[in-house]
This record gives sequence, structure tokens and C-alpha cells, in this order.
Amino acid sequence: MNDTLKYAYYPGCSLHASAGEYDLSTRELFSALGISLTEVPDWFCCGATPAHNVDELLSLSLCAKNLELAEQVEGDLAVACASCFSRLKFTQHTLEENATKRKQVEKAIDAPVKLDGKVKHLLEILAKDLGLERLAASVSKPLAGLKVACYYGCLLTRPTDVPNLDCPEAPTIMERVVEASGAETVAWTHRLECCGANFTLSRPGVVLQLTNAILDSAKAAGADCIMVGCPLCHGNLDIRQKEIENVYSAEYNLPVFYLTQLVGLSVGLAPDQLGLNAMIVNPTPLLKEKGLL
Amino acid sequence: MKKKKMLLSQETMDTGFIRKVETLSDTSVRSCFQCGKCSAGCPMATFMEHPPNRVMRLLQLGQWQRVLAGRSIWYCASCETCSTRCPNKVHLASIMDALRKLSWDAEGPSKESYVQLANKLFLQNISSYGRQYEMRLAAVFNVKSGQFLKDMMLGPKLFAKGKLKMFQRKNKNLTEIQKIFSRIEEMRKKGEAL
Ligand code: SF4
Ligand code: SF4
Repeated sequence: MNDTLKYAYYPGCSLHASAGEYDLSTRELFSALGISLTEVPDWFCCGATPAHNVDELLSLSLCAKNLELAEQVEGDLAVACASCFSRLKFTQHTLEENATKRKQVEKAIDAPVKLDGKVKHLLEILAKDLGLERLAASVSKPLAGLKVACYYGCLLTRPTDVPNLDCPEAPTIMERVVEASGAETVAWTHRLECCGANFTLSRPGVVLQLTNAILDSAKAAGADCIMVGCPLCHGNLDIRQKEIENVYSAEYNLPVFYLTQLVGLSVGLAPDQLGLNAMIVNPTPLLKEKGLL
Repeated sequence: MKKKKMLLSQETMDTGFIRKVETLSDTSVRSCFQCGKCSAGCPMATFMEHPPNRVMRLLQLGQWQRVLAGRSIWYCASCETCSTRCPNKVHLASIMDALRKLSWDAEGPSKESYVQLANKLFLQNISSYGRQYEMRLAAVFNVKSGQFLKDMMLGPKLFAKGKLKMFQRKNKNLTEIQKIFSRIEEMRKKGEAL
């Protein structure tokens, strides 16, 4: 049915550790949709926030080298993590605009910088390359009655002109993707707010405060669950949810799904293909209640 | 610096420093007209003694030491909200990067050592392994920061869910990655890069 879509795949460090279920569900979903992913050989850490935080040249160079590695594989570069996605896009943008930085980076990686390869977040591949119609046509178990709060966080859409995934202030791409899977989406206040990802280690108190506001807003809007496209947001909202509930005497019980898990369910993949058992907030009661398991 | 009246003169305005900030961030400090939109949307402004627009004003006035001495730059979460909303295309998130870099180089007077420590360990992981191993990152951070019990509650559960990897593997191309670090260091020594 599909003319084959082929991508080089950059999982990023989190997907090989705390976000194993994001990696698993991505591979399973894409194979079910007939999209081919080939992991970039020897990819390494993009430097994420810590690198550009204190050393932009290092950040640009690490990303440029990874982009060069990705050239070995046919197809655009598919990226799952919002933070890796942001850094790779920033690198392309900066090196295109700033010749001095480009020369410095070429010296650092000892190779010419090539910027013609496209970097795409998984959302973009589902919504644009595959297309929402084809996605909807693959749905065999619509997520009927499931109310989803789509959480973008910071880096998928900001700043203007860099990720170019969707409008930075009023994006709809996540909602469109999960609605194609048959779910309902809620309108809520905190979908673009920051979860404080970078401070998970160093300033957990700050993270708790920011994530509490996000969970509170999703709950108030009547959501059954949250959907994310970033392992760092996921870590803060899912892994820390119990802790947040304790500190703020609240009760949320909001399962936090990766977009590939929800879309995967709708195309008929089984829970173990989606790593649902790795989620800390157990999604089984909710999915059973909605007749989705 | 004592809390006396702020003295402004040619001498207090270190334009050389401001120029470095502008080169690193590729954005113009004087474009800011103090509308305050950046601070209005900043999720971290409540934790900062100088919210983002004031950081800009201090830079315009050459008072960068006050910025580096404070915690604002280390509380910025790099969320890019300010850069997205500035009507004058001031890329404030990149200015924050540049300030942290310059403070980091000077082994800054800032007291935000936990944030700096976390960043340092993260970068060390790249040059020793190629990839991040969160377990190692958290363990070393907790030991070095003296917070042994922090997040202990999370450990066993995460481990049971397969979220923590006990072993680290070195990337095959690790030497190539390490060369990036050393080439950058060399360029800086020669004055070819900031
Ligand atoms: S939004 Fe831009 S112009 Fe307005 S205060 Fe902030 S940096 Fe200055
Ligand atoms: S990037 Fe930093 S300064 Fe700008 S809005 Fe986000 S936290 Fe505030």
C-alpha cells in the first residue's frame, strides 16, 4: 500500500536506557506502517542541553558529526527525542546562517559540514510524510473515548524558524496525529510549558513545581492521560508523578504515553510490543475501562 | 559588589565582554527595548533575582559582573520561550548560553554548583563513553554532590522496569569523538575560537 518510506534513525541516549519503551514502540509502529528505519551506525550523544548550555561550539560539533554519520544511511533522519531533534535542527540552522561558526565546526570535526539532509521528528513523519489519511486508514482499533492531553513541552516547536515542526505558539500536530488514531483531545493551558527537564538531577524541587502545574492543568481539563514526544518530559511526568502527588497532596493518576504507544495501540499492536509494562503510572485500568485492551 | 548606587561610566562598561556575548550568541544586545515579554513568559523568572529582561538591561549598561555573580543564568531552563516571543529578535536563550559559557570559562563566581556539576558530568560521559548512561550520571552526581539518599526511592522501581542500565559500553568510534573535544581545546588555545 505504501510506497516505501525509508529513514535513517537516531534514537538518542535516553531511548537506549530509561526510555526503552519509546524505542521499542517506535520500531514496532513504523514496521507496522511499512516505514523502514535504519539505525545510524555508531551514533553518539548529541550533547543535549548541557553541551549548548556551556559550550555551543562543542554542541554544534557533536551534532555535525552525528549528521555526517547519518549521511551513510539512505533517507532523511528520523529523530524520536525532542531534545536531540532540537539540537540537530539548531546545528543545521546555525551553521547555515553563520559562516564563522561553520568554519570552526569543520575544523573541530575535521570534515566539511553537509547540511542538505533533512532532520525530522517522528510526528512530522507520521503527519506529513506518511500523511494523516494513510495513518487513519491503518487504524484498526480506534482509541474511541480516550481523552488525551497532548504535551509539547519546549523544544518540539520553539524557537521560531528552527524546528519548523508547527506553529511555535499554537501547534496542532500532536492533536492531529492522535485524532487520526481515533482519540479525543482536550484543550488545556500547559501544553507548551516547560517541565524543567535539564534540572532533573540538579534542581529536582524546581522540576516538581513545574510538573505539578502541568499535571494539574491536564487533570482540570478532563484528560484521561497525557501524550508526549520526548523522553525527558516523560521522565518528569511519569517517573516523578508519585513523588509529585506526595509533595503536593494531589491525586492525578494520569498515564503518560509516548505518541508511538498510543498510535501503536490504534493500529492493533499488542501491549508488549509497545512496552506498556515499562510505564510507571500503570495504564492498564484506564485502557481496560475504555475497552482498548 | 556592595549594594551601593550603580555607577555608570566608560570604565564600568566593559564593551569587550558584551562583544564576546554578541559573537557567541549571534544576537544584538542593544536591540532590546525592555518590553518585558521575555520575562512574562519565562517559566523560571520566579527563581531568578534578575529576570530575563533585566539581564538584558544590565548587559546594555555593561553591568555583566552582576549577572554572572547571580543565579539567573543557572536557573534558565533553555526553554526558548523568550527567543520565540521577542519582538526584536533578541535571541535571549542564546545570550544565556553565551553568559554561562563565559562564566564557566572563568570558573564563574556563581554559586549554582549543582547545575554546573551536572553539566560537567554529562559532558565527561560523552568523552569517556560516547553516549549517556543515566544510571552512571545520577550515581556519580549523587556521590559528588553529597546527596547520597536523593532519589533512592526511585532506583529499585526503575531498575525493575528495565529503565536503568547497569553497564556502559564504549562507542566504537570513541577516539574520533574524543578528537572533537581536543581539537576544540586546541582552537581555543590558539585563539581561533571563543
Ligand atoms: S522580549 Fe526582547 S525586547 Fe522585550 S525585553 Fe525581552 S529581550 Fe528585550
Ligand atoms: S530560555 Fe531561559 S530565560 Fe528564556 S524563557 Fe526559557 S528559562 Fe527563561
